[in-house]
Amino acid sequence: MLRRAHQLALAGLLLLAALLTPTVSAAREYLQLFVTQPYLELHTGPGRGYPVFHVVPRDASVDVLFRRTDWFKVRTEQGVEGWASQTDMQKTVLADGSQFKFDLGDRAGFTNHRYEMGIFAGQYGGATLVSGYASFSFNSQLALEASAGQFLGKFSNGEIADIGFAHVFAPESRWSPFVTIGLGLVHTEPKATLVEAPNRTEQSAYVGGGVRFYLTRRFFLRAEYKAHYIFTKRNENEDADEWKAGFAFFF
Amino acid sequence: MESRLRIFLLIAALAVLPGCATVRHWFHHDHQAAPDTTEVDDDNAPPPRVVDPDIPRRKITVPKIRSRNVEVGLNYGVISIEDFGTHPSYGLTAAYHITEDFFFQAEVGRSRAGNTSFETLSGISLLTDSERRFTYYDLSLGYNFLPGESFIGRGHAFTSAFYLIGGIGGTDFAGDTKFTVNFGAGYRIVPTDWLAVHITVQDRVFQTDLFGTNKLTNNLEARIGTTFFF
Repeated sequence: MLRRAHQLALAGLLLLAALLTPTVSAAREYLQLFVTQPYLELHTGPGRGYPVFHVVPRDASVDVLFRRTDWFKVRTEQGVEGWASQTDMQKTVLADGSQFKFDLGDRAGFTNHRYEMGIFAGQYGGATLVSGYASFSFNSQLALEASAGQFLGKFSNGEIADIGFAHVFAPESRWSPFVTIGLGLVHTEPKATLVEAPNRTEQSAYVGGGVRFYLTRRFFLRAEYKAHYIFTKRNENEDADEWKAGFAFFF
Repeated sequence: MESRLRIFLLIAALAVLPGCATVRHWFHHDHQAAPDTTEVDDDNAPPPRVVDPDIPRRKITVPKIRSRNVEVGLNYGVISIEDFGTHPSYGLTAAYHITEDFFFQAEVGRSRAGNTSFETLSGISLLTDSERRFTYYDLSLGYNFLPGESFIGRGHAFTSAFYLIGGIGGTDFAGDTKFTVNFGAGYRIVPTDWLAVHITVQDRVFQTDLFGTNKLTNNLEARIGTTFFF
């Protein structure tokens, strides 16, 4: 255990060193923005609860270093670094006088976004299922989705992984239904207490459908059903129903 | 005689000079005549341009703003495995900060269970060596609350926050995988933009029938971790 801990500490140090290198050598070009409101408030941290410690006057400029959630880390001309909120940053302008526009993470983002991720709890063939998914959207309606989950049942445990396409109907509405189709793998480990059965990995295909409901900010709820067809080596193929509900977010 | 000639030359010069002054006018007149005719032809034609601007437009390229919402780290602590004693645990976490309030976290950790008091007293071993390995993994949602600053001495303040965390996952233990619910709370100090230190206490609850009857076990874990923001 002690040796493990040492290895872990060493790995941690290496990771630290690797992380420090880009920070030191970073000579990036930052986006320069100009303050148009009477002043721009800078907070000590990326959240509304952190105190305001500095204000940037009108017409002064700030460099945008990076973004964390809805907050922007900025540096003033004097070199003061602080966090400005998304709402305040919307009132800043670029060097040519045009408004600074960025991805807001609102209802418009729900309709049209690039990535989404989520977690689910549900049932897979009668067993308890925990799963997660990630998706890449080609446009507001078509997305490529990959999901992985684990099912824990009375008679067997196992994992499922699948990849497929999802088509969203009415992506602009708060309730938007979708249909899915794809392929996957199912790994089943029958419980040892029953008649000894070997572990098996089988291919599967699925069709399904569901609905997503926009909550607030970057969050939405998602519930779906998938009908899996498992291609076994035995005489008959198997069916398995998957029902799940969970929450997801887009970015 | 001489003065008469001078007067004559002066008169001649006076007569010619005003004419010379109009030379500029002649050219100007010719130049203006052309657009006049076109204006008659087409009323919609743009007015004549005095200066033809030939300035290339400056194109502003907006540098991409990096998002640093991902937090990855290592942790080390102790876990009290119900009936099997308290033992060191270590794990990995990866979090994605969705908003300033919420984050999504995946974690995996491992420990090793000791002996139950029955095993210690009787000398009988209930589990094999590999079955004593306690591995948990889960997906959780965290909520940041009580944001603030933590002061170290007079001159240094670090941003910090408490958070509540809860989620679902699985635990591999005693030759079986159990559906596990976890919940807990943590404290995060962020000394720099890319580094954070966490202190977390989490309970991992699952049902087991290892001792004949089905019971809910609570496995409390306290740990300290370091994470890096990307």
